[in-house]
Amino acid sequence: MVKKTIQKKKKLETKKKKQTKKKEEIKFIGKVTKIRQTEPRTVIEWPRTLTHVHTYGMLSPFFKGLREGKLMATRCPNKNCPENRLWIPPRAHCPDCHTEMTWKTLPNPVIGKIYSFTEVVYAGIGIELSTPYWQVDVELPGLATIPKSYLLYGKPYIGMKVKAEFRTKNPTNTVLDYHWVPYEK
Amino acid sequence: MITFKEGNLRIPKWNRKVFIVAGGTTAYKKYFPEYKLEELAMIAFKNMLEDNDLKMDPLEVKGLINFATYGEFADHFQDQLLCEAKIHDYLGLDPLHNLGIKTGGATGGSAILAAAMAVASGYADVALAAGWERMDEVDTRTGNYYIATAACKDFETRLGRVYSSYYAPMANRFAETFNVSEVTRAKIAVKNHLYACSSPYAQQAGKYTVDEVLASPMSAYPLRFLECCAMSAGAACVLVCDEETAYKLTDHPCELFICGGTHTLRVADRRHMEVPLLPHETPGMYKDLYGKEGARYPGFESFLASRFAAWLVYRMADIKNPLEDMDLVELHDAFTISDLQTYGDIGLRPYGQEQDYIESGDAYYINPNTGKPGKCPSNLSGGLIGTMHAVGATGIFQAAECLWQLQQKYDKFHGDPKIWKKWWKEKPKDWQSLQIPKNSKQALWVSHAGVGSHVTVGILRKSW
Repeated sequence: MVKKTIQKKKKLETKKKKQTKKKEEIKFIGKVTKIRQTEPRTVIEWPRTLTHVHTYGMLSPFFKGLREGKLMATRCPNKNCPENRLWIPPRAHCPDCHTEMTWKTLPNPVIGKIYSFTEVVYAGIGIELSTPYWQVDVELPGLATIPKSYLLYGKPYIGMKVKAEFRTKNPTNTVLDYHWVPYEK
Repeated sequence: MITFKEGNLRIPKWNRKVFIVAGGTTAYKKYFPEYKLEELAMIAFKNMLEDNDLKMDPLEVKGLINFATYGEFADHFQDQLLCEAKIHDYLGLDPLHNLGIKTGGATGGSAILAAAMAVASGYADVALAAGWERMDEVDTRTGNYYIATAACKDFETRLGRVYSSYYAPMANRFAETFNVSEVTRAKIAVKNHLYACSSPYAQQAGKYTVDEVLASPMSAYPLRFLECCAMSAGAACVLVCDEETAYKLTDHPCELFICGGTHTLRVADRRHMEVPLLPHETPGMYKDLYGKEGARYPGFESFLASRFAAWLVYRMADIKNPLEDMDLVELHDAFTISDLQTYGDIGLRPYGQEQDYIESGDAYYINPNTGKPGKCPSNLSGGLIGTMHAVGATGIFQAAECLWQLQQKYDKFHGDPKIWKKWWKEKPKDWQSLQIPKNSKQALWVSHAGVGSHVTVGILRKSW
């Protein structure tokens, strides 16, 4: 009796296997979507994780420069161009005459003056600086622009003198690789 | 240095007159699980076709449409590319052509500009301009980051990841240069939250005091939460058409003028230039302000894109003095400071005296100093701080509010208890009408992106 049932079972199993081989059903391999609420209407969760690749393009020397403790700017080499000041953020091409710009390293110590500032208390998701922190816009001699960065410590005011410092150890490989510190003499 | 050559300063001119005859909107909410995006667009579309006293059957009006422009700020908020196709189909407008328009916070204004271009050129007789945003699929901080990707990703985004931190340095510089107290900014917040109390569409209505605004949590110093706009879900639309159709559809059409301007995404890159003067300004009047060593125009204090758009549209519409000629303005008060800055750009006050537009009482429905109607009230809709900033819809919602005000329909669209009920609210017992006077002729609205990267200035003129 026992043998018989076992044999039967085996037969059944082989039949089943054959059947599944014949009909290859599509399987759900994703994660079950969670329902967040059903009232007043059904709302589901929609998770997203993404990595983009992003090129620094012709501005790559600027970011490499930060890692090496250098603040680099671009300048239009065209002598007939009305704009001969330096650019930080740098640009690869002059907006006025379209000439390809050339690089200039600002000599250390780089000293600037705070043009404006804010204390960032509430920051958006992914913030890489501990809040609250002082975001500062710094005026530098010879620049057409007023680059934005942050003050590592101290309290800023408009007109305050500051010195550039670099994150050469454990660089972030972003614009956060330089910042300012108070410069009193 | 920005220098202009002759062609750069050509004043835009329509080939034929352009009108707006109807507007529609949803309410605006921080979280809107009741409806899908295309359903919100349909509700606004039906509101436009059915509730504007048009002289034709709604489906007959729809039968006149032969082009559409759609405003949507950010694909990553919707998480759906080609929303335009989905919504266009949902509204039953296939296979008519549509264009998706994207200029950040100015998207709504730009969508209307594009619709107006279609009508003015003869491509269309009747064009739909609709806009929407669904900012509620992500939490607030993620939303803040999404918006902050509209700052330069290489040099700015990582330094804040919240847009208030790009406006706050402008606020500090503005206060220092023009000697402005933060109380003036707080008054703007109080005013716009208060006017939102009359709107069934409003997301952030509230009766606050100046002290309460200044005591509210800090976003980025000196901007407090109560000084910042809403993050919204919702949709709005207007119907743009030629002169013949306009009068066929309504006895109360408004003629439309609209122009735009652009400036650097990074405030850092704004190089000093001469102030382009508005019709009522005189050469030399800014000598003291910008003649100083190291002074910068527009610097951190002003928006060249707004000034340039106003410079063009005032000439296009033959406006001599905006404060005298306008009966209402709806400004892009994303933050109290951007509202304040704009008063100078569009010439409600000379540069350097922006705060006087608030302090004089001119900006109020009822001037708090005199108890009489304000000279040129601002943001009676509740604006972005009080009512909504579903970004792609915003510039369109503002235009609809201007239209209804000129048509004397403020009460119809804000005071009907049924509208309040439709959006699960009860009309307040102390509800107040903010209808501008019957003899009002012109209204202006500003649609503004980035830290002033794109701006349109539109004018509606009563034409009956």
